[in-house]
Formats: sequence, structure tokens, C-alpha cells
Amino acid sequence: MFGLIGHLTNLEHAQGKAHELGYTEYGNQGLDFWCSAPPQIIDHVKITSLTGQVIEGKYIESCFLPEMLAQRRIKSAIRKVLNAMATAQKEGLNITALGGFSSVIFENFNLSQNKQVRNVELDFTRFTTGNTHTAYIICRQLEICGPELGIDLAQATVAVCGATGDIGSAVCRWLDRHTNVQDLLLIARNRDRLNELQSELGRGKIMDLEEALPLADIVVWVASMPRGVDISGIPLKKPCLLIDGGYPKNLDRMVAQEGVHFLKGGLVEHEIEMDFRFMSWADMSVAGQPLFACFAEAMLLEFEQWHTNFSWGRNHITLEKMEQIGAASLKHGFRPLLLH
Amino acid sequence: MQELAVRPELDFTSEAYKNAYSRINAIVIEGEEEAYNNYLAMGEMLPDYKEELIKLAKMENRHMKGFQSCGRNLDVTPDMEFAREYFAQLHGNFKTAYEQGNIVTCFLIQSLIIEAFAIAAYNIYIPVADPFARKITEGVVKDEYKHLNFGEVWLNAHFEEAKAELEVANKANLPIVWKMLNQVEKDAAVLGMEKEALVEDFMISYGEALANIGFTTRDIMKMSAYGLTAA
Repeated sequence: MFGLIGHLTNLEHAQGKAHELGYTEYGNQGLDFWCSAPPQIIDHVKITSLTGQVIEGKYIESCFLPEMLAQRRIKSAIRKVLNAMATAQKEGLNITALGGFSSVIFENFNLSQNKQVRNVELDFTRFTTGNTHTAYIICRQLEICGPELGIDLAQATVAVCGATGDIGSAVCRWLDRHTNVQDLLLIARNRDRLNELQSELGRGKIMDLEEALPLADIVVWVASMPRGVDISGIPLKKPCLLIDGGYPKNLDRMVAQEGVHFLKGGLVEHEIEMDFRFMSWADMSVAGQPLFACFAEAMLLEFEQWHTNFSWGRNHITLEKMEQIGAASLKHGFRPLLLH
Repeated sequence: MQELAVRPELDFTSEAYKNAYSRINAIVIEGEEEAYNNYLAMGEMLPDYKEELIKLAKMENRHMKGFQSCGRNLDVTPDMEFAREYFAQLHGNFKTAYEQGNIVTCFLIQSLIIEAFAIAAYNIYIPVADPFARKITEGVVKDEYKHLNFGEVWLNAHFEEAKAELEVANKANLPIVWKMLNQVEKDAAVLGMEKEALVEDFMISYGEALANIGFTTRDIMKMSAYGLTAA
């Protein structure tokens, strides 16, 4: 049995969802209530792979909301993630993906030091950030969609925003070794980490956002910020492929310009049978609805019985692991979301 | 997002701390005493389980003594009058249920509400407790998880006939818990315990117990949040 730890996009979304499903007790509440709300096992799903293999999983709503980070309610955010993880472990789930901001919170606030949650000692080998699969899918999206737009990768400049993060650094490694992209522009806040990445790759130009974006044929956005960054004033090349693999995915509203092609990054399409039994809290039961690649990673690990924290920590994603999860992804019926 | 959620430094010897502690410590002592008496009363109602319930009662009595020593260790006199008043409503509801032979309501008040309330308070207290009290409280928490199980097992075995009464008793008693939490919010904060975390931990323990008894996620979400915002 696999698990998915998810959360809703914002307070308004959460209230709407709660009302829609008949939880008026939750639907009428403000942020204070969600800060006190416990995690809930919301869904039980049965999934059939292309190979015919069937697995089951549970969806855990952590009750985290991005407003908690924006309003500096850090302790609440931390409790949401740890409590959801304890719930997953108590439920006996073999491998659980930390979706959305969950893995960001775990990493940024160093939660590996908080092993004891009430009467549960967390076993981190039961969890995955899903970042390896996400990075793999973003790279495949870039490799397929760039040329579709007439962007020749051999002559292309690719800007990676959030380059030193777990996903960003994996994407840089893949682009360096698996593609012939001409230039890599590395954008991130931490200069030391940027220098480290640059020397690891032996290439790449360290740049500011404002300086890099106008030069890029392809932008890979993998920064996760509760409030997002406004890039609407920065001129972009035409054509330009903008892959939004960050969280929340809100770049499309900022760069609605002709010639700028927007793609939601790190999402997979599938023809896999997903039978959500109880309700559609996570909006994943809708046929043809793309799925977060990090969630799909937990499913893949369960299909393959790789019950281990396949993606964990920062900067441990190797090309071999990306290839390994990529092969499993194809085998079981996931494919990168493409431009339509 | 590099900042860490640091805990405040607490001065266990300050007057402000000891003042707040005199009420919180009293509540805990009174809570354990209530539990002791409640389990003895339930033993009268369920002769088949009398011995087991007496054992639980004795355990609660040991906890009470442990917490009395925590107060003495900090040189604090617990305000027992405040604590008895604090528990008066729940105490009264239990007494009424006992007199009317409503064992299911007795279970809900003692084995679910009071126990989940205690566990939440202890879980949140442990990381901010003085070293002496931390040790005592850690031992108590281990025992408390056993109590929850006894009530859950009994209610689970009688779920069908108990369900309706549990829902009624939940509506009658859960709002009292929220009121009790509000009443000690300031004192708890002085001890480094946040109300938000207490409420969350209570809902987790209470919700887990309801799940083990047989309620669905939908029931649990409705029942465990009942009356929270009105409080």
C-alpha cells in the first residue's frame, strides 16, 4: 500500500472543497481552524498499471495551507507535515510521497531531526519526496516540447530558476549529460550553492533572474515559494518555452504573451485506471486529469516494490536514478504532460 | 524560509511560571483524580470488567501522585479549588450518565474525551517541561495510550448499539472541552504550550479513537470539530 500526502492550494480552495464535499464544519473556517486541524485519510485508491498489476493506496490531506508559510505560522506548517507522516506510518503504508509544499517544508526546516511524533517514531525510509521522478519528467518535457516549438536544443539557452534545489540541480545534471543544450543559466538565491553546482557541472553561467530570462529559449522554473515571484515585467524571447515545475504553478497568468509557451512542469498524463473510492478531494479521479509526478513516484515504488526513500535529502538525485524511475514510469503507463 | 521554529527559553523558577503552573498542575492532578473515580464507577456498572477497570483506576492514582510531585519539585501549591471548578461541568455530565446507567456516555467522557485531552496536554507539555516533570510525564503518556485502547475496544465491540448515544454525548460534551481549552490558553502559553497545538493534538487522539471504534472519516471530521468555532 502506498500513500500520498497532499494539501490544497489556498484557504479559499480548502473552504470550497470542504463545502463541496459536505464538511460544513471545515468549510466555514478561517486559517486559525486549519492550523489546528488534524490530518485526515481522505481517499482510498486502487490503481491498475499498463502491465495489469494492481496496487492500492491512501490519500492523506495534511490540512496544511500555503498561507501558513506566507503568514510565518511555521510551527503550524511543521506540525501538519509531521502529523501527516505519522498518520501514514501508523496506517502501515509502505511508501508515501510528500506532495506539494510538504517536502519543501521537511527540507527547509530540517525536520529529519524530529523523528518522534507522539507515540510514533518516524521511519524516513517509508517516505519519498518524489523529486527524482519530477526532475525526470521535467527533463523529458523539455526534450520533447522544445523541438516541437522549433527550438533546436543544440543552439538553445536554458535558464534554470531554482537551480541549486533538489529538482533544479538534477535537471541541470541531466541537461548537461543527456542533451546538447548550448548554454545553461543557473539562477538561485544562495551564491555558495550556485558556485558548488557550477564547479560540479564544469559549466553553466550564474545569473540574476532579470538578466537571465531575456536570454533563454527555455526557462525551467523549479523554485517553490509561498507567494511566488512576479516576472511579468521581464521581456522573454519568442518563441520561449516556460516550464513551470514550481509550486504553486502560477506563472501562466504572468506571462500571457504571444510566442511564450507555457507548460505545467512535473506533471504526468496517464491512461491508468485510478479508482478513487470515497471522494475526489484531490481532483485526481477525473479521467485524463494530469497527476503530480511526485505522487506517481510513490505509485511506481509500490509497483516495483522498491520500498525505500528513493528521493530524499537535497542534491542526491543521480542520473542513474532518474533513468531507473523513468523506465518504471514508461513501463507502468505514465508519460510527460505535453503542449496541447 | 531558513528560520527555525525555535522554542522559547523558559524560567521554571520565575513567579510568572509558577503562578501559571499552580493552575495547570492542579488541572492535571484533578484530571487524574476524576479519572480514578470515573474508572471505579464504571467498574460498578460493568461487573465483568471490574478488575480491569480497578487496575486502570489505580494507574490513574499513581499518575496523580506523580504530578503532585512535579508541583512540589517546583515549589508550587496547586490551586485545587480552581481545578475542581474547571472540571465541574464534565464531572456533572459523567455523574448524570452514571446515575442513569448510560455506560456509553461514561465511556465517551472518560475514555475518549478526558483521555484524549490528557494525552494532548502531555504530548505538548513534554518538549517544554522541566527535566523532572518531563520524565514523569513521559511515563504517564505511555500508560495513557493503554487507557484509550480499553475504551475503544469496548465501544468497538458494542458499536452498533452505542453509535447513536456516542453522537449525542459528543455534541453534549465536546463543546465543554473547547471551553476548557480556552480557559487555560494564557496559562498554557506561559508554560510554552500553544492552544493551536493542543487543539490539534486533541483532535488527532480523539479522531484516532473514533476511527478505532468504527466511525468513518466523514463522521470523525464532523464529530471531532463539533462546536469548535462556537467556543
